[in-house]
Amino acid sequence: MSAGSGSLPRYIVQRLLLIIPMVWLLLTIVFLLLRVAPGDPVSASVGDRLSQEALDVRRAALGLDRPLIVQYFDYLGDVLTLDFGNTISDNRPITSIITDNGGATLTLTVGAFVIAMLIGIPLGLMAGRRRDTVGDVAIRTFGVVTYAAPVFFIGLMMQLWVAAPLGWPTSDIASPITKFEVEPVTHILLVDAFLSGNTEAIGDVLLHHLLPCLTLGLLLSGVFIRLVRVNVLQTLKGDYVEAARARGIAEKHVIRRHAFRNALVPVITVIGLQVALTLSGAVLTERTFNWPGLGTQLYNYLIARDYAAVQGIITFFALVVVLVSLVIDIVNALIDPRVRY
Amino acid sequence: MNRRRGLLALASAGAMLVTLAACGGSDSGGGSEGGGTDASGEPWILGTTESVTALDPAGSYDFGSWNLQYSIYEQLLSIPAGEAEPVPDAAESCDYDDPQTVTCTLREGLKFSNGNDLTSSDVLFSMQRNIEIADPNGSSVLLGQISNGDAEAPALADGAIETPDDLTVVFHLNAPDTTFLKLLSTATTSIVDEDTFPADKLLDDSQVVGSGPFKLSQYKPGEQAVLEANEGYDGERAAASPQVFIQYYNDPSPLKQAIEAQDVDIAWRTLSPTDLNDLEGADGVEVVKGEGSEFRYWVWQTATKVGGDKAIRQAVAQLIDRDTIAQDAYDGTVTPAYSIVPPGFGGQKDSFKEAYGEPSVDAAKKILDDAGVKTPVSFTLGYTPTHYGPNAVDEATEFAAQLNDSGLFDVKTEDAEWEEYQTLYKENAYDLFILGWYPDILDADNYLSPFVRDGGFYANNYSNPEVNKLLDQELAETDTAARDEIIGQLQDIVAEDVPLIPSWNGENVAVATDQMEGVEETLDPTYIFRLWEISKSS
Repeated sequence: MSAGSGSLPRYIVQRLLLIIPMVWLLLTIVFLLLRVAPGDPVSASVGDRLSQEALDVRRAALGLDRPLIVQYFDYLGDVLTLDFGNTISDNRPITSIITDNGGATLTLTVGAFVIAMLIGIPLGLMAGRRRDTVGDVAIRTFGVVTYAAPVFFIGLMMQLWVAAPLGWPTSDIASPITKFEVEPVTHILLVDAFLSGNTEAIGDVLLHHLLPCLTLGLLLSGVFIRLVRVNVLQTLKGDYVEAARARGIAEKHVIRRHAFRNALVPVITVIGLQVALTLSGAVLTERTFNWPGLGTQLYNYLIARDYAAVQGIITFFALVVVLVSLVIDIVNALIDPRVRY
Repeated sequence: MNRRRGLLALASAGAMLVTLAACGGSDSGGGSEGGGTDASGEPWILGTTESVTALDPAGSYDFGSWNLQYSIYEQLLSIPAGEAEPVPDAAESCDYDDPQTVTCTLREGLKFSNGNDLTSSDVLFSMQRNIEIADPNGSSVLLGQISNGDAEAPALADGAIETPDDLTVVFHLNAPDTTFLKLLSTATTSIVDEDTFPADKLLDDSQVVGSGPFKLSQYKPGEQAVLEANEGYDGERAAASPQVFIQYYNDPSPLKQAIEAQDVDIAWRTLSPTDLNDLEGADGVEVVKGEGSEFRYWVWQTATKVGGDKAIRQAVAQLIDRDTIAQDAYDGTVTPAYSIVPPGFGGQKDSFKEAYGEPSVDAAKKILDDAGVKTPVSFTLGYTPTHYGPNAVDEATEFAAQLNDSGLFDVKTEDAEWEEYQTLYKENAYDLFILGWYPDILDADNYLSPFVRDGGFYANNYSNPEVNKLLDQELAETDTAARDEIIGQLQDIVAEDVPLIPSWNGENVAVATDQMEGVEETLDPTYIFRLWEISKSS
């Protein structure tokens, strides 16, 4: 166990307890922002069909005519009893949105991460080893472009230039038949397809994942390329690397066994930080590919001014970011004995 | 593509086996001569950007929900494709005893898909719960003629519905209303099973049960709905396909790609004019157009100084070049509208064309000069840039340019996103502003009462006692010719007073692969996408 590990359990408890005020603050900010913005769920849906009186009746039925402070404490009270309620615009339980659509976002983001690491880490390593060469410049440029280009633009280009010529699917998580035939056990379609043993369905779901994961993964790979490159450059300057070279170890072993492994440690930390970036990228990616994940739901409910749904989904996103960050911190502490909390 | 065809063929074979087994073992019941299930085609896929609010008829007021409900439930009456008048559906007859009393007789042997009998009690229950639940997303407002009118405690009006026996339903309306039969064909009057649906709240979407041509076999909100032919259905709307998949798209862009790649068999609502023009030349698909009833119009806020001046309103009506707007802003995919009532409705006449003829700067100038109005007249034209699609921006820009180019007006355009826009136009922020409309029922009154009675739903402060009187008369008039005459008079008054300026009528458009049949027939002004009439050939 590391020297700092004695404080790790306390650190974990502290972080978990901090979730409570964090969620409260987030809920309050989202609550206020949604209500300050023009419009409401009623006007968003039937504003161009009904008279002001009829609209007011509907608002009253939803309790939207009550003082803001009353609505706020009412909502907080429900959250404290873990009653996130139903959406306003289509009367769905908030928890069912998370259950039904969270799996799609999960597989998209995990797939994107895998692709990002498969692309970003080797390229970052290559760039670090060949500093200031043509290859290094090309890789760095690639990293900047993929990070800076809007994800929906990359997605559209993928649909036009990759999917169309190859006959790959351009949208959705699976074909209608697959979605119909695969029994929702875990509500994660990819996992359920594997559980069903239906090879056609498995192939169909994997094929549908390809482009969206590649699109989002390219965005993330830009971060990994730059990060791994910088860390490789730093570790290559380290004393222990010089010592290894002095002992006559082959350069490729110096890189692989000494520099590279140490260069990866900060990458693990950054993975936790990239969860938030991934989720925000997922919203745009899901829109581009008609992906039935939480990002799409969030966008749709934002357009519908559905306060309950937006608050619920954003709270869930925040919890995910915090919990993943916490797990990364724990992993970091376990693998790097220098880390203290 | 080949893998998808194979899967669909397998699913089709499976559904056919189920259908054949059901036909062999079941008692067809009833005395209906027609109907039954004729689901011998292949399953097919509809792609749409419409969303679903609820599959419970008491919980929705939107195309996406209603179109599924038409397939899952029966109503007392229905509107056949291409027609305007309702015909029997669950009812074998519905007739006016007098302008305030309607008696419907149900077909014998009606059953829900769960095997429960459908009787007059279910009809009463369906309407009553719709009114009493008064869901904020629902359409109970359309049942005003049988409601108690109490916003705090909505309920069926006393004695509004009688059910003297299992087959008879008698409606006693609050006031004479010759549009009530058409209302009985809308999804808001869908008949639900009183033994399955709760009386005081909505039923979960996945559990809905109806007596229509299809049963809901899977529903993933925002993703897809799967309908299977209801083998127990014995009405006139027999399903031509054993299975229909409805895929929901969040954006027109992936929907366009999907129909181009033939990942869906039909794309219906809503592709942009640019996308539709692009698809005209695509291989393997056809852009199919039918008559629509979408209506786009400009409303004068008569409470403002400019909007309150009739000469100014008439001058603008004289200047608007609808052909140019239709061509330049919408690539020719819409039809100029010369009346508040679209073509095809009883009593319709192009009153604005009769009153103003072709756009004319000289004629507009004369109107203003005769009224002593100094030019150029400055006013604010409002529009919303995204709610009605991006082409609305082009329309507003083009219209403002037409007015400014005449030299008679100095128009300033202002825009706001939909949520803010609705508040602003009611607060007199604009002198003239754009809105869009789809009818609830296919009747001219649905383009009149909501607009010109006492300010309309958009509160433009226009009120004309003669208009109100004529509206009451046409609603009570049972003689078609006489009613059409009154409706014609109303349109003439609107063209004279110009509380609003009609701009265009939209078409009902779908894009279908070459194998699909029955698409063109269903594209009519009702915007009911009759899934049961559409089939896919092998």
